[in-house]
Amino acid sequence: MTERLKYDAGFAKEIYALENGHYIKKCMQCGMCDVSCATRREMDFSPRELFLLMRAGKREEFFKANTIWMCSTCLMCKVRCPRGVPLVDVMHDLKSHAIGLGYADSPQATFYQAFWQEVMGRGKVFEGGLMARYYLKRGWSEIRKGFEMRDLGMDMVKHSRISLKPPRTIKGIKGMQAVVEKARAQMRKEVGG
Amino acid sequence: MRYSFYPGCSMEGAAVPYLKSLEAVAGALGMGIEEIPDWNCCGATVASGVVGDYPAQVLAARNLALAEPKGLDVLVPCSSCYMNLALVNRKFLEDDHFRAMANDALGAAGLRYNGTLKVRQIIEVLVKDVGLDRIRTKVKKPLTGLRVAGYVGCQTPRVFPWEFDDPEQPVYLDRIIEALGATPVKFPMKARCCGSSHSITRPEITTGSGYSIITCALEDRAQIMVTPCPMCQMNLDAYQGKVRQHHKLEASMPVLFITQLMAVAFDLPPAAWAFKYNIVSPFAALERFGIKP
Repeated sequence: MTERLKYDAGFAKEIYALENGHYIKKCMQCGMCDVSCATRREMDFSPRELFLLMRAGKREEFFKANTIWMCSTCLMCKVRCPRGVPLVDVMHDLKSHAIGLGYADSPQATFYQAFWQEVMGRGKVFEGGLMARYYLKRGWSEIRKGFEMRDLGMDMVKHSRISLKPPRTIKGIKGMQAVVEKARAQMRKEVGG
Repeated sequence: MRYSFYPGCSMEGAAVPYLKSLEAVAGALGMGIEEIPDWNCCGATVASGVVGDYPAQVLAARNLALAEPKGLDVLVPCSSCYMNLALVNRKFLEDDHFRAMANDALGAAGLRYNGTLKVRQIIEVLVKDVGLDRIRTKVKKPLTGLRVAGYVGCQTPRVFPWEFDDPEQPVYLDRIIEALGATPVKFPMKARCCGSSHSITRPEITTGSGYSIITCALEDRAQIMVTPCPMCQMNLDAYQGKVRQHHKLEASMPVLFITQLMAVAFDLPPAAWAFKYNIVSPFAALERFGIKP
C-alpha cells in the first residue's frame, strides 16, 4: 500500500518568502552540499533532501528534521554550490523561522536562544552565563550529561580558561537594543518575517 | 601600521592566551592596535539563526560605526567575528538599499556607518601588511625542524573564497609557519570543521571531528598544531582528553594560537607565550628550543 502524500503547495511559498528563501529556487538537486557537509552523517536529511521535502509540501517532516540544527556553519557547501545557493544563510532563515513557529525542542535551539539572551542582556557573551542559561533551560537530563564533562571543566578552571566574572555590560547597551529592535521591525515590514 | 582592534567575546574568556600573545607579537612587529570603544558581540554563528540575517548584520555593523571615526582598518583575529564583520562591511559597500536601511536602524542609537573601513583577518594582515620578510627578521629563535600542522579552521578562508586564500586548502598560515623556521606538514584537513558549538550540545560530534583532525596531522608527523581561531583551539585543546577517552588516540597534540608560536620564535618573554592557559602542554614539543615551564 502506498502512503498517500499530503501535499502542501503553500509550504514552498512560505519558505521562499524568507529573507534568503528565494535562493532555494535555484537548487538543482545535484547533491554537492550533501558530499561537502561536515555533519551530514548526523543529519536526518541532507540539505538537498530537505529542499525536496519542502517542494513535496512535507511541512512536519521538514521542521522535525534535525538537519538545520546540525549545520555548523563551516561554509563548505556555500563555497561549493554550483548554483550559488548560500546554504548557510538559508539555514539561518530556517532556524529562525523554526524557532518562531515553536519547533524549538532541540538542544541547539535552546543553545541559540540562550546565546541571544546573553548578547541582548549585556552586549557580549559571557561563557559562564551562556552555560548557566543553557543547562537551566534544558533541565536534569542535560545537566547530567554536562556532569560527564566535569573533568574537562576542571581542566579549564585549572588553566584559567574559565572566567568566573562576567565582562562589564557595554555602556551603549540601551542603544544597541534599540538598534536591534529597529532592525527587526524593519525586517518584519520588508519580508513579513 | 595602526589598526582598530576588535577582540571579540572569546578573547575576554577562553581565548585569553590569544589576546596576550597577540598583543606582544603585534608590539614586536611594530603594529599599533587600538580596541574599538564599547564594542559589542558580533552575533557569532548564532544570532542570525534566532533573529535572521538582517538584524544580526546590523548588530555587527554597530562595531564598524564605532570604529569609523578613527579611519583605521579593523583587525579581527576570531574567525566568526571576522566572518560577520567582513560580510556586513561588504554589504555596506555593495548594496545601497541595505546601507540606507541599516543606517536608519543604527540611527536609533545616534550611529551611522559610511562603509569606509576595511575588515582584516589577522593571518591576512600578517602576510600582506606586515609581510613574511619582516616576520623573518624578528625571528630570534628559528624553530628549525619543528613539524607544525597549520589548522586554519573553516570560516576564515571561506568568507571571500580565493580573494583571501584558497577556501579549501589555504596556504597563508603555512607561509607564516615557514617564516618562523618551522616545517608546515601536509594537512588535508586544515580547513575542515572542528565541530563548532556542537561541543556543548553534542560533544561527541566535536570529539569525532577532533579525532579526525589530530589523526590527519599526525599522519605527516606533526609535533604541534597552530590555529588562528578561538573555537578551534578550544575544541582541539580542551576536548582532547575526551577525544582520547572515546577514540584510539595515543599521541598528545599541543594546540597553540599561531601568535603563541610566534612569541616563542621571536624570543619574547614567557608571559607572551601564555602557555599556562594551554591544557595540552606544549613544553615537551618545544623543549629543544630551550622552552621550559
